Amino acid sequence: MSIESLLDEDQGAAPSTIDWRLWATVARVALRRRTAALGIVGGGVSIAIIEGTRPLLNGALIDEAAAHGISARFMWMAWVWVALCAAFGIGVWCFIAFAGRLATGLAFDLREQAFAKLQELPFSWFDRRPTGWLLARLTSDCSKVSGIAPWVLLDLFWANALMLASAAAMIWMRWSLALWVLSVVPLMVVTSIVFTRIMVGSSRRARRANSTITAYYGEAIAGIRTTRSLVREAGAEREFDGLAGELERWSLRNAMQGALYLPVVTTLAAMGAALLLWRAPLVDGLSAGELVAFCQYALLFIYPVQDLAQRFADLLSAQGAAERVQSLVDTVPDIRDSPATRAAVENLRASGGPRAGCAIDGNPDRITHVRFEDVHFAYLPGQPVVSGLDLEVRRGETVALVGATGGGKTTIASLMCRFYDVTGGRVLLDGIDIRERPLEWLHSRLGVVQQVPWLFADSIGANIRFGRLDATDAEVREAAVRTGAWRFIEALPQGLDFQVGEGGERLSHGQRQLVSLARAVLADPDILVMDEATSSVDSETERTIQSAIDTVLKDRIGLVIAHRLSTVRRADRILVIDQGRIVESGPHADLVRRAGGRYRALYLEQFVHDRETQH
Amino acid sequence: MNPPAPAAPRPRIIALWSVLGPEAPAYIAAMACIALASALAYGTPLAVQLAIDVFAGDAVQDRSPPAAAVRSWLGGDAVVTQPWRIATFAAVTALLAGALTWAKGALAARASQRAVRRLRERVHAHLTRLPLGFFDRHSSGDLVQRCTSDVDTVLAFLSGQVTEIGRATALLLAAVPLMLLTDASLALWSLLLLPAVIGYGLVFFRIVRSRFLKKDEAEGALTARAQENLSGIRVVRAFGRGDFEAARFRDANDLHRRLDERLFRAFAIFWASSDVLCIAQLGLVFGIGLWRVSEGTMAPGQLAFFLVAVNLWLWPVRLMGRVIADLGKATVAFGRLQEVLNEPEDAEPAQPVAPAIRGAIDMRDVRFRHSPTSAWALDGLTFSVAEGETVAILGPSGAGKSTMIDVLLRLRDPESGSITVDGVPLERIPRATVRAAMVSVLQQPFLYSRSVDGNIQIARPGAPREDIESAAETASIHDSIRRFESGYATVVGERGITLSGGQRQRLAIARAVLVDAPVLVLDDSLSAVDTDTERKILDALRERRGRRTTIVVAHRLSTLQLADRVIVMERGRVIDSGTHAELVSRPGLYRRLHDLQRELEEAVS
Repeated sequence: MSIESLLDEDQGAAPSTIDWRLWATVARVALRRRTAALGIVGGGVSIAIIEGTRPLLNGALIDEAAAHGISARFMWMAWVWVALCAAFGIGVWCFIAFAGRLATGLAFDLREQAFAKLQELPFSWFDRRPTGWLLARLTSDCSKVSGIAPWVLLDLFWANALMLASAAAMIWMRWSLALWVLSVVPLMVVTSIVFTRIMVGSSRRARRANSTITAYYGEAIAGIRTTRSLVREAGAEREFDGLAGELERWSLRNAMQGALYLPVVTTLAAMGAALLLWRAPLVDGLSAGELVAFCQYALLFIYPVQDLAQRFADLLSAQGAAERVQSLVDTVPDIRDSPATRAAVENLRASGGPRAGCAIDGNPDRITHVRFEDVHFAYLPGQPVVSGLDLEVRRGETVALVGATGGGKTTIASLMCRFYDVTGGRVLLDGIDIRERPLEWLHSRLGVVQQVPWLFADSIGANIRFGRLDATDAEVREAAVRTGAWRFIEALPQGLDFQVGEGGERLSHGQRQLVSLARAVLADPDILVMDEATSSVDSETERTIQSAIDTVLKDRIGLVIAHRLSTVRRADRILVIDQGRIVESGPHADLVRRAGGRYRALYLEQFVHDRETQH
Repeated sequence: MNPPAPAAPRPRIIALWSVLGPEAPAYIAAMACIALASALAYGTPLAVQLAIDVFAGDAVQDRSPPAAAVRSWLGGDAVVTQPWRIATFAAVTALLAGALTWAKGALAARASQRAVRRLRERVHAHLTRLPLGFFDRHSSGDLVQRCTSDVDTVLAFLSGQVTEIGRATALLLAAVPLMLLTDASLALWSLLLLPAVIGYGLVFFRIVRSRFLKKDEAEGALTARAQENLSGIRVVRAFGRGDFEAARFRDANDLHRRLDERLFRAFAIFWASSDVLCIAQLGLVFGIGLWRVSEGTMAPGQLAFFLVAVNLWLWPVRLMGRVIADLGKATVAFGRLQEVLNEPEDAEPAQPVAPAIRGAIDMRDVRFRHSPTSAWALDGLTFSVAEGETVAILGPSGAGKSTMIDVLLRLRDPESGSITVDGVPLERIPRATVRAAMVSVLQQPFLYSRSVDGNIQIARPGAPREDIESAAETASIHDSIRRFESGYATVVGERGITLSGGQRQRLAIARAVLVDAPVLVLDDSLSAVDTDTERKILDALRERRGRRTTIVVAHRLSTLQLADRVIVMERGRVIDSGTHAELVSRPGLYRRLHDLQRELEEAVS
């Protein structure tokens, strides 16, 4: 799936029908909050009944006052009127408060489900989806769906109950007159449906134009230097004006449709009243009070009809959001424990847990030996990245991967962590296929240091502790000391409590590297995969990092995607990777003497420069 | 680097009118339509009044002038025998009111949409002319927010809020005289709770603002939590910390839920009590009216008029408090926009000269810093490049190489010193002319979200196909492009496929080659390309461009050797320069680089 198609998925043509199956799934989640749902329905139906009977009561009061003055019967009815108003207030409070509970609860549940799923999905799934896109699923899509849900539920009951109650009251009073008044209702309904359909379309086009403009701004700002240096200002302006025109066209069209819809429905309701005034004198024995009641009913129908139309529009326009959230929740991760592994873990757990030295599936807990057997891998079918790779690494051994970018170094490292599954061959951990071991266990035995180490916007201490959550403060500190990170942490006024900022931005590159190394040390992994930073740091930090790497790699299976001369030289073995294959392998001293060798050429070209700029 | 932004000017609400510009007359016409439509809306209650009077057999004489006027206009007592006259009156006034409401909607929508489109275009055009320093100071997220949602807030103000307030006011203003004429005392009773109704909304929405802010903060925290997790998902997964993260997310999620629900509860209390307040107002009118009817001092028709009329204005007026409380948002948004619009654009020379640039460059004692408090990025930079010369620039990161290029391209203006091109002072040449003559490839070239050929011809739209392909061949990217699924039509950039660093650089070189300018500047723009390809590209460039001025920032010895002359920069100034042979003969960065390589060559052979 390309990003282009992701965006199309976001903003595709407006659906013209409501996907009831999808909404039923959403409703099942929403209706878990039963009290809230009952409160909404109860509040809605009771205020509908009150609104539907009040004109009747108004008419009776007028007739009573005109005929008998302020009688006891009048007072009795007046008190009922007051009581109904109080009940109305309670009903309104009830449905809004419970709507709040339902909406916020549904948003909570949807986010929780979606977030939990995101923690399970494989890397390959994230590769194709930008973070911003995923974030929008968790934030705006969830709020869109949960924001409309209680009102759809409310109006389904309130609007229908109100229309039914009003119609019943009118028919009960004078059925012949009622039919005249009700004759405009179907027209109002049809008008509303037609307009809603049209307006949902234009509003979606307008939103699409709007998000194109937002993206265009993002691009204009990110590419400002390039745009200027290529003297593209005029062209960009022309393009933008085109987009702004498109946005104006669709928003205006939508606004014009709205400007027509409202007066049409209101006028139709007034026509109902006019019909009433025309026919009323022909009805025998109709009282003034009854006529007032009829007039009020005639003007009442606008609101439920409009609201229902609005909910219909809401459902259509939030359908995309609901689909995206639901499909995220329904995604089945393609890297997960095999049924056999799951069964093994379950059995072991039921029988009292693993023996000492064993993992949760009963197999050995520690990894001492990794072996790639004829491994093939491709991100996209037909475009192999790794082909026929054989590799064996033992505990205590460090292997450096070198070679041009795009050669497959990172992929090989990822396969060792089972971030991706091989498309051919197999990866064995102490003789057992990596796909037969539990992921939870594997990741607990794994340490990964990224090229651009990601730190969470938290304290340094919390970032290190991410490696082992139950580590004591002393252990966190010891990890920092062992990697040499302690030296700079000590110098900070807040020490381990220093807040590193978003992504670690308040620390230098070298410092981030040290913190992420300390994090890996604390985890005490069997396999350590490290992507060395390419950016240069000062020589002091460079030395600290180097000795930290030595500490970290000791007695582990080390796989380093090497960019630094010093690392390469110290590795037990260097693998030169090109197009997913090992083209040369051996220790530095051997490889560098191989006349015409790839490593030698690489060494002369690349590492010389590094060495020079670092000193 | 990040000085506090100057306090936003607080424009008054009236300043927002300036956005309308030439659309102001249409907008005023819309307001006039609202006024008329609101007046006509009272046709329905008047018709109801007449009908009831006729119906009740005029038991109590209804002497209210508005109804009497309508009655005599409809033919006096003829309405008694021909009730269709009243019905027609109701229908016609409703139709007219509807038509005017439509006209108002259409006029206001057109005026505000047009005005806002112009505002959008103005903001965008302004952004493309602001100095680069402005973008150093502002985060792109903040700028995009201003350009999009702040503009939308202004639009909502013009197309919604103002007309809402206008409609509520007009309905009220039309009702007051009609009600006073119909029955003065009941009219006063019907206005009794009006200040409370408006004031309650106003006060409530001001008070609730702090709850809104807290909820927004919690929402921000929730988003930040999710973003952290998603950005660091590889770390989370590598350490198997999914459950831990889920628990942390749940905390943020739950806090947001609680605050949001609290807001809903506040709203529940407000709407319920405000509904009761409005109904109390209606009940007051109704009760007093009924008592008067029973006393025989008021006709049932008059009471019916009040019931329908008050219902007409009461609900829109109730919303006014909320709308007025929201007006502050529009002024804040507009203030933020004006802050951007008031930033001075890059200045252009007062008396521009437009020489045909050939490419002799001379910099004397040029000094530049990013802000008055930061260190000098260029600190007395002096060097010259002869026409047709190829000069390589070497230096550690932070030496000021990229800043030098910015200054040369007039992307940034130096604080002191002189720069001339072919003897003409650079600041007298318009920026666009300078950049058109000196095409550059930046270290991290930006690719636009469009096709490959669209990207290559971005600086020369409409270039013929063979020119595009030959530029791509010069940049050694033609074959790679051909292997893409859609070839030259493949979309790249943010919304397209991701290219490797080397592919991006080569594409950017093709883009520059297509322009074929007198001066070519390559800012370390081959760093992600392997050595063989780099050599091939440089050879092709030389063949294609002949002897034209070329400035190359590079680190590799192999590239540096190709230049006529090498300039070594450090800390914002030139510390050495000369040919390969000269630089090798004296100690310095260049010689160290060279020696190291030779040492290695010897060590391994």
